[in-house]
Amino acid sequence: MIEMQGISRIYTREDGTPVPALRDVSFSIGRGEFVTVRGASGSGKSSLLNIIGCLDTPTAGIYRLDGEDVSGYDDEQRSTIRCRKIGFVFQSFNLLPRTTAVENVEIPALYVGGRVDRDRALDILGRVGLAERAGHFVSELSGGEQQRVAIARALMNDAPLLLADEPTGNLDSAAGESIMRLLADLHREGRTIVLVTHDDSVAAWAQRELLIRDGVIASDRQLPPLHGRAASVAAGA
Amino acid sequence: MTWRHLMRGGLRQIWRYRLRSMLVICCAALGVAGAVTSVNYASGGREQVLTRIQQLGTNLLVINAEQSRSVGGRERTGTIVTTLVEADYLALRREVEGIARSSAMVSAGLRLKAGYLSKVAPVLGVEPDFFAIKSWALASGDFFHTEDVRRSARVVLLGWQVARDLYGEENPVGERLFINRVPFEVAGVLAERGQGLDVINEDQQVYVPLTTAMRRLLDVDHYRSILLELKDSRDMVPVAADVTALLRVRHRISAFRPDDFSVGSQQDLIDTQLAAASRLGFLVRWIGFSGLVVSGLGVLAIAWISVRDRTREIGTRRALGARREDVFFQFAFEASVLATIGAGSGLGAGWLASRLAASQAQLPFIFELQNALLALGMAVVLNFVFASWPAIRAARMDPIKALRHE
Repeated sequence: MIEMQGISRIYTREDGTPVPALRDVSFSIGRGEFVTVRGASGSGKSSLLNIIGCLDTPTAGIYRLDGEDVSGYDDEQRSTIRCRKIGFVFQSFNLLPRTTAVENVEIPALYVGGRVDRDRALDILGRVGLAERAGHFVSELSGGEQQRVAIARALMNDAPLLLADEPTGNLDSAAGESIMRLLADLHREGRTIVLVTHDDSVAAWAQRELLIRDGVIASDRQLPPLHGRAASVAAGA
Repeated sequence: MTWRHLMRGGLRQIWRYRLRSMLVICCAALGVAGAVTSVNYASGGREQVLTRIQQLGTNLLVINAEQSRSVGGRERTGTIVTTLVEADYLALRREVEGIARSSAMVSAGLRLKAGYLSKVAPVLGVEPDFFAIKSWALASGDFFHTEDVRRSARVVLLGWQVARDLYGEENPVGERLFINRVPFEVAGVLAERGQGLDVINEDQQVYVPLTTAMRRLLDVDHYRSILLELKDSRDMVPVAADVTALLRVRHRISAFRPDDFSVGSQQDLIDTQLAAASRLGFLVRWIGFSGLVVSGLGVLAIAWISVRDRTREIGTRRALGARREDVFFQFAFEASVLATIGAGSGLGAGWLASRLAASQAQLPFIFELQNALLALGMAVVLNFVFASWPAIRAARMDPIKALRHE
């Protein structure tokens, strides 16, 4: 699904000095994997996520997404890739204010072109357990519900890759756990999930952990299966 | 993004941020309404000036019997001059070329009495051509004619205001009016004119046949003035010179003595008034245009704030797959819909305000459609440009930064 070869991202300060955020990073994530990316702030984690999410282009290296080399794509091409292949879930939900849940879910469909399928949006809302809340305004929903709407939105264009950046960061532990359960379900359905988190109990849900330090991958290890679930059930109890 | 979605989404956003939308609409509307109203108001003023100039006559020469003389070292212009007589008048008509119509005039303030009501008003003795020269219509009754002048008929035409003062709402035609105890029959009432540019309110005067005034009322054989209407207004200067030369010879005025009459035209007055009107019109157009720009800046400011406020939304939409042009069109569409609604309602408001202003100021109501459409078009273009700028900014935003924007 994701294939990174020698990816570097170098920012340039105003005075011209280069600041490398990622240095010659190579890894790949297979279809259907559930990977957590961890690292301290300033480690290059965000830069990596921006590149995976096609919000940014690498300074050097090749990035293949779903077999397609997207590293040289321009802004418009990347927009199209984001639209069709990637579902974003943000820490602070990023739902449009003064807008109903179902309208938020429909947004990605606007940018595909053609008809916006209201029924599909309602279906997906049902899937995340918010069928009843479809017509509610975002401000009337709880944090956990808002994040579910955001996840439903990420699924609207049936993106194979979900990018979740601290999806539980603004939620209490119970709501956070139900969100993780939802992500785990989506993973079981075959979606590829890349999760960024600081929280060990959240990271434990993943199968594999990539640790970034100083712009390079410090460790890449498989997590024990079921471990995550057991741990969080224990924590929840 | 398809047009249908763009429109639906845009209209929904407009509704959601209705306070802000109303502000933009008001801003755009005020600009257009202001421009339309002020220009129409100025046009009304100009129209009124033109009407008054028409009433005054643009091709008139007036010979006044008056003499300047030195009184205690200062030039004083007196009016008791008795040298302008019928023979002069006849000679003028016979010898000076380029005169179309004319009327000799005498005048005096006399007491009018109708029933129990009485007032002092200027009484003018004139010839029938006087009304034609002044292009003055009747409100009711009939003018007097050459025949009336010939036999010094005791008929009188009332200025509109005099008729109101003496007869109220009644129709005075055929009624009896005493002027200095001489009974007259009211032949007609003249149409309302208002105060003229020469500050004379002709509505407050009454008019009798020339000879009637001279023989029956004033007992004089000289004129106060002679009104000459020229065939061509360009002949003003040569005709005035001819008249002056002829009268000086007839009055036997030697080379170094001053005239015992004056020959004047209203041209200076007309020029001044027209220049003032057109300067005002220019100024008002500028103010209107500035108003439009200011309102456009208001639209710009609100659109700018809107883009700032919605930075997160822009980042989110971009992450979800919106292209730059999608974001641009979204904001540009919202802003231009608002600006167009605003400009349209401004046009309506401008029409209403123009009517109101015209009736308040008692000016003729003029709606310059061409100008209004110009203002409307300018507002739409201006607002679109001003709204596009923030929209371009929105489209150019780096989605990563926009997502992090607090």
